Amino acid sequence: MKPWIRYAICAVLGLALGAGAAIQHVRTGVLGASRAIGPWTSGSDFGTARAGAYTRAVVSLRGLLALPAHEARYYNAAVDSAGEALDGRCRYRVSGGTIPAKWWSLTLYDHPGYLVANQAGRFSIASAAVPNSAKWEVIVAPAEQAGLWLPTGRIDRFELTLRAYLPDDGGIGNMTRDQLPSIVKEGC
Amino acid sequence: MRRWLFPLLLGLVLAFVGYHVALAQFPRVLMGLATHRIAKTTGYNAMFAAPLATDKARAIVRPSPDLAYSSCPFDLSNGPVLVDVAPVPAPYWSLSIFNSRTDVAYVRNNIDAGNQPIRVAIARPGQPVPDGMTAVRVDGTTGIALIRILVPDRAQFGAIDAARKASSCKALS
Repeated sequence: MKPWIRYAICAVLGLALGAGAAIQHVRTGVLGASRAIGPWTSGSDFGTARAGAYTRAVVSLRGLLALPAHEARYYNAAVDSAGEALDGRCRYRVSGGTIPAKWWSLTLYDHPGYLVANQAGRFSIASAAVPNSAKWEVIVAPAEQAGLWLPTGRIDRFELTLRAYLPDDGGIGNMTRDQLPSIVKEGC
Repeated sequence: MRRWLFPLLLGLVLAFVGYHVALAQFPRVLMGLATHRIAKTTGYNAMFAAPLATDKARAIVRPSPDLAYSSCPFDLSNGPVLVDVAPVPAPYWSLSIFNSRTDVAYVRNNIDAGNQPIRVAIARPGQPVPDGMTAVRVDGTTGIALIRILVPDRAQFGAIDAARKASSCKALS
């Protein structure tokens, strides 16, 4: 084999492997993986020029057109408070208190980041729907529940995104574990 | 085997390069696809008022079902683009402008604006903008201007939808 052929083979394979590794790294990335708070992950540099290449790539795949932190904070959960993956065939109690923001909403997505079909046509619970914003509970479950219910559509894996718009601190800090809702599995 | 040593070293270096180039290009490619997908509906430099997101929505990942989105995929190849945002009867609305790298070049909400209309000209560095007009300078020629409107109750969407259609996006010529 001529030397240039060996160089060409290795060059092409190297580039392909590198690009493939990057794509795989981003595809398996978690939105806001830079900061984990209980079951929630977040990041404060979405949509800004200071976001690193990896954060920027994951946000473009999982949360394109995200707003900067002073306008909205995004907290994402793919696991419950015990660290187990969120399963659409199970029932979870999401319990929270005052969210330090002008308004907030809790939305359920499938892993690629799309809303999940369900008979109730309900995809989120917003702060306006909560009777007592200082102490509230949402039941996330496949079958209809009394009170505030967020349907899972019985999909295998789902994620919850808490959007906090116009955060009280201007987005400079993260909410604490006590400020963020807990996600407790009650059964499957 | 020694004949493969330097080609393999070259492959390793190029794998490192390929990883970082792909990572850097990822947002640009996805943003380009999203911009093109929205532009297929109304074309560039025009405002598209999307219906409230449901499980059928596939244009953008993680759409918020609590927000009404109006988007303008812009192309500055032939000059600046003028965006006018009309106030709507909602507790929150905002205009954000994203460049082709997904960076936010501008964001202003109804509280900042005192519930008054917002008018900006999106332009590349060096493109002239009329005196007195707020210029939003972006790198690259394409991007998305996005209006978000909070819809506290889907029953209120009709009134909000009618009001938001007064917002526009057009080439400034």
